[in-house]
Amino acid sequence: MIAARRVPKPFRLEPYVAFASRAMAREATYRFDVFTSIASVLVRVYLLRMVWIALYARNAAPKELPLHAIITYSTVALLMGLVMDIDQTRSLHDRLHDGSIASDFMKPIVVPLYFFADGTGEVLFHALLIVPSLGLALFLVHIDVPDAATLGAFALSFLLGYFVGFFINFILNCTAFWTLEISAVQMIVTWVSDLLGGELVPLVFFPLALQKVVVVLPFAAMFSTPLLIYTGVIPRAGWPGALAVQAAWVVLLGGISALLWRAGTKRIVVQGG
Amino acid sequence: MAIIEAIRLRKVFRSPEREPGLRGAAKALFTRRYTEKVAVDDISFALEPGELVGYIGPNGAGKSTTIKMLTGILVPSGGTLHVAGIVPHERRMDNAANIGAVFGQRSQLYWDLPLRESFELLRAIYDVPRERYERNMRQFAEMLDLEEFLATPVRQLSLGERMRGDFAAAMLHDPPIVYLDEPTIGLDVVAKEAIREFIAEINRERGTTVILTTHDLADVERLARRIILIDDGRVIYDGGLERLREEYGTHRTLVVTLAESCERFDVPAEVVGREGNVVRLRFNRHAITAEALIRRVTEQCTISDVTIIEPDIESIVRRIYLEGYHDGAAGTPS
Repeated sequence: MIAARRVPKPFRLEPYVAFASRAMAREATYRFDVFTSIASVLVRVYLLRMVWIALYARNAAPKELPLHAIITYSTVALLMGLVMDIDQTRSLHDRLHDGSIASDFMKPIVVPLYFFADGTGEVLFHALLIVPSLGLALFLVHIDVPDAATLGAFALSFLLGYFVGFFINFILNCTAFWTLEISAVQMIVTWVSDLLGGELVPLVFFPLALQKVVVVLPFAAMFSTPLLIYTGVIPRAGWPGALAVQAAWVVLLGGISALLWRAGTKRIVVQGG
Repeated sequence: MAIIEAIRLRKVFRSPEREPGLRGAAKALFTRRYTEKVAVDDISFALEPGELVGYIGPNGAGKSTTIKMLTGILVPSGGTLHVAGIVPHERRMDNAANIGAVFGQRSQLYWDLPLRESFELLRAIYDVPRERYERNMRQFAEMLDLEEFLATPVRQLSLGERMRGDFAAAMLHDPPIVYLDEPTIGLDVVAKEAIREFIAEINRERGTTVILTTHDLADVERLARRIILIDDGRVIYDGGLERLREEYGTHRTLVVTLAESCERFDVPAEVVGREGNVVRLRFNRHAITAEALIRRVTEQCTISDVTIIEPDIESIVRRIYLEGYHDGAAGTPS
C-alpha cells in the first residue's frame, strides 16, 4: 500500500469564497427577478403605508408605536424581507431530491459549509438590492433614522435574526433526508413565521395569550426583535437581554441543524440513499 | 503495491419495511421492522497503479454500491478497503483529492454557469496551482475540442459536449484514480469514440488508474485488458479479456457464401442462418477446427467465400450471466 499521510490538510477558505461568489453571479443572471423584487417591495411599502394610516385614523394609536413609527417599522421590515425571505438552502433539498448530493460528497469540501457559502452568496446579492429599494422607498414614505448606537444594535440583531432564519430553513431542508416532499410543511412554517415573526404586524398588537405563545417560538427573533430595537420600543437597557435571546435561538437551532445533518448523512452513508 | 485494495468487501442496506396502503403507513409509524438487502456480498480485488479495469455486471449487481464505497460516500458493512493508502469513509476529504469521477447519468458541472466558470470553481475546490490548471486546460481543450463551447452555460450544451466537459472537470486536479460510471451512455458513435480515445490517452500518458463501469461492452473491448465481472454482489470473474474469450468463446460462426445452390450440409456444426447463398454455421472450436469445417463443407458444395466471426465479449458475458461462471467452461482446452 502507498503510505498514507496522517496529517489532515489545513482548512482552506478559498472554495467557500468561490461558492459564494458563484452564487452571487448566478443570482445576477436572473435580471428580471431583480426588477420584480424591487418593484414588489415598493408596492407593498406604499400599500402598507395606506393601511396603517387608515387603521390609525379610526383607532387610538398605541403609545409605543405612533403612526410615523409603525410606517418606519413596516418599511424597514419589507426591506429586511429582501434578505430574510430567501430560502438560501433550497439547493440542499434539491440536491437530496435528485441525488446530486453524491457528487458534493465526492469533493474535498465540508458539505454543509458548501450550502452555507452558496446561500450566503445568494443572500449577499439580494442584500445589495436593499440600497436601491431604500432609495426609491424614500420617495413614498418618510422613515425615522435612529442614532448610531441604535443602528449598530439593530445591525447586530438583524444579523442574529438572519442566522435564526438560516437555521430554520436548513432544518426544513434537512427533512428531505427522510421525506422527499417537504413543500407542505414548509408552507405552514412560512405562514406561521410570517404571522408570528412580526414582519407584517408588530407583535404588540397581538392578544396577550398569543404574545405568550410567540415567546417560546423562534420566529420573533427573525423580524420582531431587530425592528423593535430600530423603532426604539426596546430601549437601550433592554438590548442585551433581547440580543441574548436571539443568540440563544441561534445556538439552539444551530445545534439542531448539526444533529439533523449528522443523522441525515448517517442515513445516506449507512443505510443507503 | 496496490493502489486500490478491497478485501471481502460487503455492504448491506437496511431499510424500514412498510406495507402498502394507509394501514401500512400507520403501522410503519409504530413498528420498526427492517428489510435487509445485500448489495455487495463479498468482493475482493486489487488494482495496480495505471491499470484500466472494466467493472462489469448486470443492473443491481452491486457496481455503483462498490463505487460509492470507493469514494467514501458509503460505509462498508464488512471487509476492508484502501484507496491510495486511505480508508475512504474515514478520510473522505483526503480521499476525494485523489479521485476523479464521471457519471454518464449525472453531471457534476454547475448547471447555470458557463463551462469555463465550472472549471474555475473546481480549481478553487481542489487547490490546483494556477500554472498546472492552465496547462491542463490547454491540453483538455485540445483533446476534447472544448474551445468552442467554453463560454456556453452548461444547461445549453448537448449531451456529447457536456460529457466532454465532465471529463475535463474530473481530470483537472490530476487525480491518480478515476471512476467512470457509464461514461458513454446515450452518446452517438463519434462522441463515444472521442471519449474512449480520451480515456485511453489519460491512462497511457498520465498513468491514471481507471475503473470503468459500463453496459456498453464495446467500451471494455476497446479500453480494458482486465475485467472484473460481478453478479449478486460477488466477483465471478477477474482476469484478462483474452482468457475469458478463450474459455467462453468456444463457439464461432463460419459464414459461407456458396457458389451455387447446395441443399445438404452434413457438418458437425449448427446452421444458424441461411439467406440466399449465405449460410451461417455455428461451431464449437474445441470439437472441430475452422479449417476442418471448411474442408467438410467444400467436400459437399462449392463455395466462393468464407468468413469466421469471433465471439464478441458481449455474447460471452451474456452467456456467463445465464449459465454462471466456472473455470474451464470449455471442457478440454485445445
